[in-house]
Amino acid sequence: MGIMMRFLSVVALVLAPAVAQAQVDVVLTNSDPVVAVHSNFRGQAVTLFGAIEPLPADGTNYSVVVTVQGPSTDWVVREKERRLGFILNAASTRYTNVPSYYGIFSTSPRDQIFRGGLRTRMRLDLSSLVASLREDGDAADTDPEFLRLMLASGRFSVADRGVVMLSPAAFSLRVPVASDASNGLYLARAFVIVDGEVVGEGTSRFTIRTQGFERYVAEIARSNPPLYGLATLLISLGTGWLGGVLFRR
Amino acid sequence: MPIYLPIAQLSVDLFFLIGIGAAIGFISGIFGVGGGFLLTPMLLFSGVPSPVAVASVTAQVVASSTSGALSYYRRGAMDLKLGGFLVLGGIFGSALGVWIFGLLSALGQLDLLLSLGYLLLLGSIGSLMLLESVRAILRSNQEKPAMRRRLPGRAPWVQRLPMRTRFRKSQLYISVIPVIAIGFVIGIIGALLGIGGGFVLVPALVYILRVPGKVVVGTSLVHLLAVMAVTCLLHAIQTQSVDTLLAFCLMVGSVAGAQFGAAAGQHLPAERLRVLLALLILAIAIRFGVGLLVAPADPFTLIQLGFGAG
Repeated sequence: MGIMMRFLSVVALVLAPAVAQAQVDVVLTNSDPVVAVHSNFRGQAVTLFGAIEPLPADGTNYSVVVTVQGPSTDWVVREKERRLGFILNAASTRYTNVPSYYGIFSTSPRDQIFRGGLRTRMRLDLSSLVASLREDGDAADTDPEFLRLMLASGRFSVADRGVVMLSPAAFSLRVPVASDASNGLYLARAFVIVDGEVVGEGTSRFTIRTQGFERYVAEIARSNPPLYGLATLLISLGTGWLGGVLFRR
Repeated sequence: MPIYLPIAQLSVDLFFLIGIGAAIGFISGIFGVGGGFLLTPMLLFSGVPSPVAVASVTAQVVASSTSGALSYYRRGAMDLKLGGFLVLGGIFGSALGVWIFGLLSALGQLDLLLSLGYLLLLGSIGSLMLLESVRAILRSNQEKPAMRRRLPGRAPWVQRLPMRTRFRKSQLYISVIPVIAIGFVIGIIGALLGIGGGFVLVPALVYILRVPGKVVVGTSLVHLLAVMAVTCLLHAIQTQSVDTLLAFCLMVGSVAGAQFGAAAGQHLPAERLRVLLALLILAIAIRFGVGLLVAPADPFTLIQLGFGAG
């Protein structure tokens, strides 16, 4: 068992399947493979459905934990301090390859589902996840603040009881998508747990894509800055000229 | 009606943007000032990220100075040769300013620079304006004939500089060095703070170079238009923080507002209103000062790297 656990921890760290030999099959699917985000929308939800085979043995229950991870970005946390009487940004801490969205959903509080260090090894513990993403040499005391800001902005979310068991072997969950969600591929992984051990895993993917004129503008600004700048100038000159003609002062 | 600003990555009400554009356009129409020095602070106070606020206002300044520059050009009330030398200096200043801007942005000290810069600039301009207009009102209340102050002679060091050139339109025979230097300094300030700098440039042209009144505004508009256009382009290329949608909403409001302001200005006691403008400028300066001195509720800020971060 000890060898088994050690093996489990190593593969879990590299995000390989968390179970060496699945005892149950998990099928995970979602309501919207491609979520089109419009700039003026207030956020919506992607619904994920899962089915577990076979039915749980008598006297046991399946617990389910689902993680949803968005594309990665880099972040800086800056701390304002008083220097020479002025308030200014003093210390800064970098976090690299941070998922732009990381949600943890479970059927019941994770402490009740897991035993021992499994939570940390499976990236189900946000504090240790944050600590592992901090760049070397930066101060560790910013970690709670980074976590707080990410949770407050909705980029990280934890929903104990966010997964609803529809029947003993079927579950569903709603993943909220904010209007400022990053574009890209989102990976959902569902873990089925019995007696604190992961017995099965299923994955599903969906893509978030912002659409419309604003996305086009942002893309040009990034991909062809000189053209974007010239276009902006022409718009400005045109608007100014038109204003002068219309109002003729 | 909320619209999403793609570069600022922020949802803002469309009518709010057009509204502040119109209000500041109206004020600039009454007083014949640019408006960048009011608009950039307003955007900063409404939560627009500082790189985006500064860079986008440069586009708005281009729009608001175009119609003025055209009408001065048609009347022949500008010195293109003098303007050309100013712009030459201005372009180098702007390039340096945008470079410093990117550097400070990466270091996380951009807000400090903006707060200090606006505090000093608006604080001194506001105080001078307040003193000047209160004095003018007192004078007119006493019904004394307005004392015509003679301009002081051109600073002697300006006359001693080499490379003198004749500026026919301005009836000046002066060195090009101070001309380029003035353009250079205004270019740096403009690129860093997101202002045209007309309210610094016009006094500099009048008091240092003794440019005659009939061409000074037109010539300063040449500098404003050309240097802000270059600054906008450089910001788009280097810091990638020009939000065209934001700038467009602002310029639609301000171009319209400026026309009404200019019309209203002819019927309003501009000299008395100038006191109000001075108070407004001082209030903005104080707001920046408070931000520098009072610790925020949450000292931690989160910044996403890679886009618009410079």
